[in-house]
Amino acid sequence: MRCKIADVTFGITPKYKYLAKICEGFIDSGENEPECVISVTQADIDGEKEKAQGAIFPEYYLEGLAAFRKICDYLLKNKDGILFHGSAVAVDNKAYIFAAPSGTGKSTHAALWKGLLKDKMTYINDDKPIIRVENGECFVYGTPWNGKHNLGSNVKVKLAAICEVRRGKENSIEKISAKEMLSVVFRQTLVPDALPEMDKYLKIIDTVFKNAELFRLYCNTEPQAAEVSYNAMVLRRK
Amino acid sequence: MIRIKDGFVLRKVADNYLVVAVGGAVKDFNGIINLNETGAFLWEILAKGATEEETVKKLTEEYDVTEETAKADVAKFIEKLKSANLLK
Repeated sequence: MRCKIADVTFGITPKYKYLAKICEGFIDSGENEPECVISVTQADIDGEKEKAQGAIFPEYYLEGLAAFRKICDYLLKNKDGILFHGSAVAVDNKAYIFAAPSGTGKSTHAALWKGLLKDKMTYINDDKPIIRVENGECFVYGTPWNGKHNLGSNVKVKLAAICEVRRGKENSIEKISAKEMLSVVFRQTLVPDALPEMDKYLKIIDTVFKNAELFRLYCNTEPQAAEVSYNAMVLRRK
Repeated sequence: MIRIKDGFVLRKVADNYLVVAVGGAVKDFNGIINLNETGAFLWEILAKGATEEETVKKLTEEYDVTEETAKADVAKFIEKLKSANLLK
C-alpha cells in the first residue's frame, strides 16, 4: 500500500492486518510512485523486541513500530523531519505539543483541552506526531501511530508552542528557555547515533526552538489545569 | 597530555553549547552536557588534546583572566571531565 506520511509517499507492505489498519487514513490515492519503500524483516521485529526492554508486545504491534522507525529514519535523513513523542493538538490552525514521559499525563491534559475547547480543538496526534522543517518553518504532522486512544488525524499544522508537562498539586505555567527544553526534547525524540544524522537532528531542533514558544506546566487533572495552560499558550500570545 | 574521548562532539543549538555522544560512545553516554562559552572554548582545546599548562595559557590569551584564575578554572573543568569519565 502507498501511504503519505509527513508529505512523503511511502510504500508499505504489511505482514499483519494491524499495520494496514492504522495506515488506512493515510493512503495515498494519487499516482505517485513511493519515494521510499519500507520493508520490515523478522530481524527488524526482533530488534524492536529488544528495544522494548522486557515489555511484551505482540508481533503485529512490533511490526508497526519497526515500520515507523524506518519512516522516521528516512524523514530525518532526507526531509528534515523528526518524531516527537508527545500529544499534539490544533487550535485555530496552530499546533501545540504537550511533552512528558509516558504516564505523566500529557494525553490526560490534552483531553482536558478537548473538554474546554470542544470542536475548537482537534487532535493532530496523541502520541507520536512528526515535526518537519520546511523553508525555515516548522509543521506538525499526524501519523498512523496515534496512541492508546487512537486520537489523531491526517493533517499538517504550523507549530506554535511546546509545553513540558509535569505533575503538580496546583496548576501553574511558565515560559522556559531553549536550554531547559533541550533535555526534554532529547528524552522525547529518537536521538540518532551517527554524526551526520546527529547534525541534521540538532539543526531541526534549533529551528524548532526558533519557531515555537516553550513552556513548562505543572498541573493536576482538574479542568482548571486546561484553563491555565490554554490562557498562557493560546490566548496570551494573540 | 589530556584528551577527551572520541565520540563526543560539541555543537551549538539555540545559542547553547552542548556536547552529545555519537557512534560507539552512545552506549556509555545517553544525554547532553551543557557548556558555557568558556567551557566550550576549553572543550575544543581538550578535544584535540593538550597539557594542563597549554590549556591555561590559551585561556589567558583568549580571555581577560589572571593566570591564577585560569589555572583554577582549567583544573576544575578537567576534574569535571574526569569525574564524568570523558577523558581518554
